Amino acid sequence: MTLAYHPVADVRFGATTQLQGTTLEVSETVLRQHLLEDRRLQRVDLAIVHPGEACRFGVVFDIVEPRAKEPGAGPDFPGILEPIAMVGQGLTHVLQGAAVTVLDAAAPIAGGQVVEMSGDAGKACSYAALSHLVVVPHVVPGLERHRALHALRLASVKAAVYLGRTAVGHTAASRAVFESLGPVDDSRPGLPRLAYIGQIHSRQRVAEVDEQILYGANTAGMAPVLLHPNEWLDGALVISYFNRAVETYCYQNHPIIMELYRWHREGKITLVGTIATMAGSDNDDRARNAMLAAQQAKWTLAAEGVILTKYGGGAPHADMALTAKLCEELGIRTAVQASDMSQDRRAESALLFNYAEVDAIVYVGGNDTRWTVPAVPRVIAGTPEAAVTLAAAQVLDAGRLCGVTNQQGASHLRAFVH
Amino acid sequence: MRVVHYLNQFFGGQGGEKVAHLAPSIQDGAVGPGRLLEQVLGAGAQVVRTIIVGDNYAAERVESLGALAVQEAQQCQADLFVAGPCFEAGRYGMVAGALCKAVKAALGIPVITGMAVENPGVDMYHADIYIVDSGTQVQAMRDVLTTMARLAQKLLNHQALGRPHEEGYIPQGMLRDDFVEPSAAERLVAMVYAKTTGQPFESEFTPPTFAPVPAPSPVLDLSKARVALVTDGGLVPKGNPDKIAPSAATNWGAYDISGLDDLQARTTKCRTEGMIPAMWSKTRTGWCRWMCCVNSKKPGWWASYMTVLCPRRGSPIPSPIAAVWGGRLPRSSKPTGWRL
Repeated sequence: MTLAYHPVADVRFGATTQLQGTTLEVSETVLRQHLLEDRRLQRVDLAIVHPGEACRFGVVFDIVEPRAKEPGAGPDFPGILEPIAMVGQGLTHVLQGAAVTVLDAAAPIAGGQVVEMSGDAGKACSYAALSHLVVVPHVVPGLERHRALHALRLASVKAAVYLGRTAVGHTAASRAVFESLGPVDDSRPGLPRLAYIGQIHSRQRVAEVDEQILYGANTAGMAPVLLHPNEWLDGALVISYFNRAVETYCYQNHPIIMELYRWHREGKITLVGTIATMAGSDNDDRARNAMLAAQQAKWTLAAEGVILTKYGGGAPHADMALTAKLCEELGIRTAVQASDMSQDRRAESALLFNYAEVDAIVYVGGNDTRWTVPAVPRVIAGTPEAAVTLAAAQVLDAGRLCGVTNQQGASHLRAFVH
Repeated sequence: MRVVHYLNQFFGGQGGEKVAHLAPSIQDGAVGPGRLLEQVLGAGAQVVRTIIVGDNYAAERVESLGALAVQEAQQCQADLFVAGPCFEAGRYGMVAGALCKAVKAALGIPVITGMAVENPGVDMYHADIYIVDSGTQVQAMRDVLTTMARLAQKLLNHQALGRPHEEGYIPQGMLRDDFVEPSAAERLVAMVYAKTTGQPFESEFTPPTFAPVPAPSPVLDLSKARVALVTDGGLVPKGNPDKIAPSAATNWGAYDISGLDDLQARTTKCRTEGMIPAMWSKTRTGWCRWMCCVNSKKPGWWASYMTVLCPRRGSPIPSPIAAVWGGRLPRSSKPTGWRL
């Protein structure tokens, strides 16, 4: 797979939707019409926000990078937007520096995820460096919540692909090739064979019947599944509706997969593959998923080392750690990423697992980081009431700012034991 | 700066183990390491009083010595209380930690001591006070006192201390966030690479280790036993009469459930985090495992009360709290009073 990067320095509304140099011009009318094809939506508000602007917006449903496959190279978001077919090969155009951010107008503002574009909080929020097309879909009255969420999901990928297609036919500023031969790669003897086991859903929250996570499926009944690393990057996956500290943008630019690829290209490791798994709803579900994922890592990928991440809240740590323990028992070395679970800041309250073998832990902080942010002149929110709340001076916890405590490897926040 | 300094009989120049029974001797001015302490604290620092006690005497009278240390520090209008450093001396370390903790609690002035990590005083007091890692070598006295003085100055100036290994103190076991340059992804790949290739790596967190808990002897005759079922499911009587918090609870409740075969009508949950709503609504009884006992309908031995624990978010209860709770549970022969 080749990613063709088209840097975007400015996004503005205009008469037509087109990419001119590094300026992305968006026709508000055409995009709105495009999104309103979905009859579940009665209105769509659109706004553009630039880096450094004294602007705050939320509640964020998802952040998606505008991308589109080169015609003939495969589908965009198969199973959600286009028919199911393989992704992760051929050419994909990327509007680098831009983002489609969809807000959930029905989500409560209290505790909801926000993007802060300026000040110290903005510096910590990685998404503040992007130019955002903020999409606020308003569903028809009385629509069931799961159908409303489905409409938001569809709007998010539709808008991202609609913008991404402006790059088709343009010469990319740069290109990057993502090539992994997977477990059969025997051309790199002596290099450690590394893999990634990532949770893509937590059954703490039962997925809606029409919730789309992996190739459009809600993962119900699913066992851990092998994926080519490129499938994560190229639209096979979106986040679930449990969206705390995860964004589809970080699947498209998956920090762990990108870093594994960097080491792979430098000839220091062989990236042999990835496994997508779920945190279970009960002990049997946990034991089954953990066992199957570990066995796949061992017997199918022949991995020598794996990185594991969890999805969702606290309980999925148990699934991640059990999977890591089983990997260790099979002779695979592991490193895991833990989220900050210590409310009282005692180190003793920090971990939800304790296996001697699971001794390589990256610990993301968050519970004692917050910013007092000033009132801002511009806010984008789902309702006028939410806008008033959001505009005021307030304290924003790290966990509320998109990107700061990210579970997909993007976080720079770490808790140290003092 | 006025300093009160605590020393044992050895460092106080009284002698070794033979005089470990010595009662407190209170001297004006600095003694032994106290003179060095004055030097490293710099101009204006004065050890105004030194408390010297034999190790055995002190170890047997920690509480009254705490009161004495508080009294002396108060009388001298001390700005700082220093104990030791104690290196590996166990009794000395335990008393030094206790006195520092007592003075800090009573007077709110900065306190500092130093010990080797092996010293039992570290286990007991590292969370309460700053203990400089002295190592085991007494020859390092000047270096250790210099570190203690530097930390004391910072505490006196209300400056935040940096990370333990940079400042030289033993971790207190508290987490503090900081932004770092490499992303979590970069740290993960570097760590798994090092581990896979057999190179050293430093985990960002080391899980605590706990002393093994010996299993009690088995109950031979359940028909004569009073059985308690302990659950962390957060199931409480309607109205949550004991006001158990939904997370990070600091209390627990015990409820009489003798003869009950249905929880559905009488309970509610005080806890929402980390639970699966579908399973909750489907059946409370399935969730609360005691039903397997109740349903067996063996008269005489089913649970006569249920104890509800609400752990901190996620599931861990810090072990010091768990130990306190665990010690009280068996003695709580009567439920807290609420019948389901």
